Amino acid sequence: MNETAQANHTEKKAFLVKSSSLKDVRTFCREVFEKLQIEQNLKDELVLAIAEAAQNIVKHAYKDNPDTKDIMVVKISCEDNKLQIAFYDMGTPVDPKKIKHREIDNIKPGGLGTFFIQEIMDAVEFKDGGKPWINHLVLTKKLKN
Amino acid sequence: MTYKVEEIDNKRIVHLDGEIDMEVADKARNTILPLIEAGNEVQLNLSKVEYMDSSGISVLIESKKLSEQKNTKFELTNISKPVEKVLAMAKKFL
Repeated sequence: MNETAQANHTEKKAFLVKSSSLKDVRTFCREVFEKLQIEQNLKDELVLAIAEAAQNIVKHAYKDNPDTKDIMVVKISCEDNKLQIAFYDMGTPVDPKKIKHREIDNIKPGGLGTFFIQEIMDAVEFKDGGKPWINHLVLTKKLKN
Repeated sequence: MTYKVEEIDNKRIVHLDGEIDMEVADKARNTILPLIEAGNEVQLNLSKVEYMDSSGISVLIESKKLSEQKNTKFELTNISKPVEKVLAMAKKFL
């Protein structure tokens, strides 16, 4: 099993915030992970986590603005075998506490995506993405040597 | 996502094909739930599903719950590898 990734690789892409973009997000991620030579099993998990995070932007951050023309940006970086996936959006501000303190036993079907993200990734953090961004989610995963 | 429904007596076999995400979850939901609502036994053939996310899992959970309410049978068959992996992660909710 080869989980070794190439060092110091970064790619980013912008997507319209709408559910039909989710397939494009997955395609983008698969292409980047292919370049990084991440093995299939981990690649599938990472694609799922990223797609769930992007879905959360569409479903929650833009819940009140479904016809938005805004974009979200997905940035994938790999440095020293540490994979970092960053999301930027201009939707409704997310309260990180609601995500961080979610009780696993309490998850309803709608909260499954967040559970998947937490299961797959090593860290899930909201950071300051700077203007014009409102939400900046960063997912990290340490890759094995 | 595409689908085909096979009818055998009061059993309905739903063959799903492609990727099941938020974009198409309603299409899957609107295909499966009315069959269960009508009292049919439903088999969901997932052999050609290449990807399923939490939206797809939600449809499975709703289908299972409705079948319990309607006292009918709902089962998954020929589960593809990608779906099997997601189901394994979600098993505590199924």
